[in-house]
Amino acid sequence: MGFWEAFLNWLRSLFFKQEMELSLIGLQNAGKTSLVNVIATGGFSEDMIPTVGFNMRKVTKGNVTIKLWDLGGQPRFRSMWERYCRAVSAIVYVVDAADRENMAIAKSELHDLLSKPSLGGIPLLVIGNKIDRPEAFPKQSFTEAMGLKAMTDREVACFMISCKNSTNIDSVIDWLVKHSKKKN
Amino acid sequence: MAQPLVVKKDDDCDEEEYYSPFLGIEKGAVLQEARVFHDPQLDARRCCQVITKLLYLLNQGDTFTKVEATEVFFATTKLFQSKDAGLRRMVYLMIKELSPSADEVIIVTSSLMKDMNSKTDMYRANAIRVLCRIIDSTLLTQIERYLKQAIVDKNPVVASAALVSGIYLLQTSPEIVKRWSNEVQEAVQSRAALVQFHALALLHQIRQNDRLAVSKLVTSLTRGSVRSPLAQCLLIRYTSQVIRESGMNTQGGDRPFFDFLESCLRNKAEMVILEAARAITDLNGVTSRELTPAITVLQLFLSSSKPVLRFAAVRTLNKVASTHPLAVTNCNIDMESLISDQNRSIATLAITTLLKTGNESSVDRLMKQMTNFMSDIADEFKIVVVEAIRSLCLKFPLKYRSLMNFLSNILREEGGFDYKKAIVDSIIILIRDIPDAKESGLFHLCEFIEDCEFTYLSTQILHFLGNEGPKTSDPSKYIRYIYNRVILENATVRASAVSTLAKFGALVDALKPRIFVLLRRCLFDGDDEVRDRATLYIKLLDGEATVGETDKDVTEFLFGSLDVPLVNLETSLWNYEPSEVPFDISSVPKETKSQPLAEKKATGKKSAGPAAVNGPVPTVDASYEKLLSSIPEFASFGKPFKSSAPVELTEAETEYSVNVVKHIYDGHVVLQYNCTNTIPEQLLEEVVVFVDASEAEEFSEVASKPLRSLPYDSPGQTFVAFEKPEGVLATGKFSNILKFIVKEVDSSTGEADDDGVEDEYQLEDFEIISADYMLKVGVSNFRNAWESMDLESERVDEYGLGVRESLGEAVSAVISILGMQPCEGTDVVQNNSRSHTCLLSGVFIGNVKVLVRLSFGISGPKEVAMKLAVRSDDPEVSDRIHEIVANG
Repeated sequence: MGFWEAFLNWLRSLFFKQEMELSLIGLQNAGKTSLVNVIATGGFSEDMIPTVGFNMRKVTKGNVTIKLWDLGGQPRFRSMWERYCRAVSAIVYVVDAADRENMAIAKSELHDLLSKPSLGGIPLLVIGNKIDRPEAFPKQSFTEAMGLKAMTDREVACFMISCKNSTNIDSVIDWLVKHSKKKN
Repeated sequence: MAQPLVVKKDDDCDEEEYYSPFLGIEKGAVLQEARVFHDPQLDARRCCQVITKLLYLLNQGDTFTKVEATEVFFATTKLFQSKDAGLRRMVYLMIKELSPSADEVIIVTSSLMKDMNSKTDMYRANAIRVLCRIIDSTLLTQIERYLKQAIVDKNPVVASAALVSGIYLLQTSPEIVKRWSNEVQEAVQSRAALVQFHALALLHQIRQNDRLAVSKLVTSLTRGSVRSPLAQCLLIRYTSQVIRESGMNTQGGDRPFFDFLESCLRNKAEMVILEAARAITDLNGVTSRELTPAITVLQLFLSSSKPVLRFAAVRTLNKVASTHPLAVTNCNIDMESLISDQNRSIATLAITTLLKTGNESSVDRLMKQMTNFMSDIADEFKIVVVEAIRSLCLKFPLKYRSLMNFLSNILREEGGFDYKKAIVDSIIILIRDIPDAKESGLFHLCEFIEDCEFTYLSTQILHFLGNEGPKTSDPSKYIRYIYNRVILENATVRASAVSTLAKFGALVDALKPRIFVLLRRCLFDGDDEVRDRATLYIKLLDGEATVGETDKDVTEFLFGSLDVPLVNLETSLWNYEPSEVPFDISSVPKETKSQPLAEKKATGKKSAGPAAVNGPVPTVDASYEKLLSSIPEFASFGKPFKSSAPVELTEAETEYSVNVVKHIYDGHVVLQYNCTNTIPEQLLEEVVVFVDASEAEEFSEVASKPLRSLPYDSPGQTFVAFEKPEGVLATGKFSNILKFIVKEVDSSTGEADDDGVEDEYQLEDFEIISADYMLKVGVSNFRNAWESMDLESERVDEYGLGVRESLGEAVSAVISILGMQPCEGTDVVQNNSRSHTCLLSGVFIGNVKVLVRLSFGISGPKEVAMKLAVRSDDPEVSDRIHEIVANG
C-alpha cells in the first residue's frame, strides 16, 4: 500500500513538478546561508564563514524545486544584488532582528533595492531572524522598523524565525511553496 | 528541447577546405543570444555554444565595452546553477578570458571555493586555476590550506593546477607561496610527469633569489630522482645556471655537475638529450674534451628522420661553429647532405655552418651550391648567409674575389631593406679590411646606387664613397655615378651626393675645376638643403669662407666627425629656446653609454658593422641636470661634469631599495640617493642618508637635502653634497646609513598613523674612484684623432699586471679602472690570442680630451704585461692617467 502511495506521489510530482527561483539577500551576518542550510538539510551551525560572492543551491520541497541564490551581504556585494533579483519568483530579505543598531541600514538597503524599476511587482518576504535572542524585536515593532507598511506596490509578507531553534521555518517554506504555484 | 543546431558539430574538420564554423558571426547577435543564460530552464548545450562564440570573438580581437563585459559576466555567473560538467568548464574559461574588474569578479569567489572542494577532479583543478587569478591576498590566506592540499593531491591534474597557480601567485603574494615549500618539494617527487615539471619550476622560482638554495636544489636533484623529460630539461637549465654562477672559482679542476650533463646525453628522451647538448655547448670556456660527447649526439640528430631534430641540431652546431669550428668539422659530411634538405631553414643553417668550419679549398664549391638556393629562402635566412660570407671573407682574404662577386650578384637581386643593408654593410667592411677588394667593392656599390630604392642605403654609400673614393687610383670614374644621383634622386640623396662631390674636390686637385662646374649646377636645385650645401662647398673650396682659412681646415671640416653624440645634440636642440644667445655646441653633454653589441660578441672579431661605431644611446644626463639645477643649494656648484650610473646600495628584494648616483662637479660632488619603499604598510618621513666620509679625507660635507616623505612604491630622492679640492683626483670610500621616521599605514584606508618611530637602515658602502672623473666619449676614427694630438703630451710606460685569468679579463679590468670608451671594438679580445691592442678615448674633468693606446701581452703562466701610451690636450693629465693605472 505504502509503495503504491509513494508511486502515485512520484507520478504526480512528475506531472505537477514546479520550479521557483528565489534571491536571498540582507546585510552580512543576518543568517542567509544558515537559512538555506536549515531549509535544505535542517542542520544549523554556529560557525559560519561570510559568503564571498554567492552560493547557488537547489532544494526540493514536495513537488517544488527551489533555486536559491544566496548572496553575500557585505557592502561590496550590495550593488550586485539587483542583478540576481531580476525575474525571480520572490525576493527573500533576511534581517538580524536582534541587531538593533543596523536595523536602519537594513531598512534603507531594502528600500533602495526595491525602488529599482526592474524589480517592480516581485513579491517580498521579509524574515526577522534570531528571535531566540532576548534582545530581538517583536514582530510588531520589527515591521515598523523596516517600514513594511509603506510598501503597497507588491505583496509583502513578514515572518519572525529562528534558524537556530528551527522556529517558524515551516511557515516560511509553506509561503514559498504557495508562491511557486501562484506564479505558474 | 531539441532545437536544430545553428552550428554543425565539427566532426569532419580534417577536410581540406575546413573553415571556422564561426566565421562572420557578429558581436551584437551573439550578445543577444547570451540571454539564454537567464532562462529558468537552462539548455546546457546551447549555453556552451554561445560561450564558444563569445570566446571566439574575444580571441579574434573583438573587444567588449565595459557595460557589455559586465552584462555577459553576470549572466555567465548564473550558469553556476547547472550541473553540466562541460558547461561548467566553459564558465571557468569565460571568467578567465573576460577578466572582469576586481570588484565584480569577487562575486564568483564563493562558488569557486565550493568547486575547489568538490568531488569532481575536473572542477577542482579548474576552479583552483580561476580562483588564483581573481583572488586577493586576504582571501588567499583563507584558501591557502586547500591549495597546499591540492599540491600534494593524488590527482595529477589537480596538483598541476595548484602548482601553476602557485607560479602565478608568486608574483603577487610571494610571502604566502614561499610557505608551501614542503608541499612543493613533495610534489617534485611525484610520478606524474607534468606535476614534477610544474613543481620543479615553482620550487626554483621560490628560491631563485637565493643562490645557495638553488645550488642545493640542483645538487640534490641531479642525483637522479627526476624522471619527467620536461622537468629534466628544466633541471639542465638550472644546472647550467649554477655552473655559470660558480664558474670562475673552480677553474683548473673538473667542472661541477658536468657528469650530470653528460649523463643526460644518454637519456631516452630526445628533448633532454638536446637540452643537455645545448647546455654543454653554451658552457663558459668549454674545452674540446667537454664538447666531444655533445657534438656526437648532435651529429646523430643530423641524420634523424624528424625535421625538428635536424633543425635543432644544426642550429646548435651553427652556434658552436662560431667559437669552436674544429669541434664541428666531424659533422661536415652529415651537413653536406643537409644542403639539399627539403626544409630550407635546415639547409641554410647547414651551409652557413659549413662555411664557418670549411677550409679555403671548399669555399668555391659551397658558394656554387649556395647560389642555387638563395632564391628559395626567406630574407632573414639570406641575412644569415650574408653574415656567414662576411666572416668567411675576413678569414680567407685571398678568396675575396669570388665572395665579393657573390655579394654583388645577390645585391642585384630582389630583396628587402634589412637584407640589402646586410649586404652593403658587408661590402663596406670588406673594403675596409681587405685593401685589394677596395676598387671592385666600390664599383659594385656604385652600380647598386644607380638603381637603389632605399634612401638610407644610398646616402650611406655616398658618404662612404666620399671618404674612400678620392684615395683610389682613378677617382674620376666615380664622379659620373655620384652626379647621376644629383640628377635622378630625391632631395636627401641629392644633398648627400653634393657633399660627396665636395669631398672629391677637396682631396683631388686635378678634379677640382670640374667639381666646381658640377656644384654650380646644383645651385639651381629645387631643394633648399641641396642649394645650401652646394653654396657652402663652393665657398669652402674657393677658400672664401671663414671656416676654411687653410686647406687643412677644409678637409677637417669635410671629413671631421661631430664629436658629440647625435642623440644628445638632438635633445639639447629641443631644449634650446630661441633667444639672443646663440646655441653653444660645447654645452652638449658628450657622455655616451657603451652598448653591448651583440654582433661583436657573436663573432668575436672586430668586424662590427659601420653602424656599430659607438652607437650612442640616450643618456639620462639631461634629466639629472634639470633635477639638480632645480635645487637652489646646488646652484652655485656650476654645471655637473659627469653623472655616474646608479650604484645599488641594497640587495634586491629588501625592505627599502636605495641606489646612488654620483654627480661630479669641478669643486663638488653631489650624491643623489634614489630610495624606494617596498612595504605597503609603511610611510617613511624625513628620509636622510648619513654619510660617513672618514675614509675619504679630501671630501667635506657641505649640504644635505632630506626627503620629506616616501610613500610605498613611489621613488624619491635625497641629496648630500660634498666639497672637494679643485683639480685634485679626490677618491675615497663612503659608508651610508639611511635614517627616517616610520609611520604605520592602514592598508584599508591608506591613511598613515600620526605617530612615527625613528629608525635606521644600514646601506652598503661605495667609493668615488678616478673613473668617475672621466667621461666616456668615443671617437670614430682613432688613428686620425691620435695623430692630430700633440706628440709632446705623450707619456709611455710599461706595467706588469701579474697573473690574470685571461687576456680579456685584464683588458676589461684596465678599461673599468680608467672609465674610458673603447674604440673600434677593441675591448673584445679574440679567444686564445697572445697579445692585444686596445684603444680608448675619453674626456677628463676640466674638459681635457684623452686618448689611450694599450698594448697587452700574455706569457705562458698567464703573466700579463701592458704598455700604456697616453696623449691628451694637457700633458699633466697624461701623467694623471699613468698615476691612475699605477695606483689601480
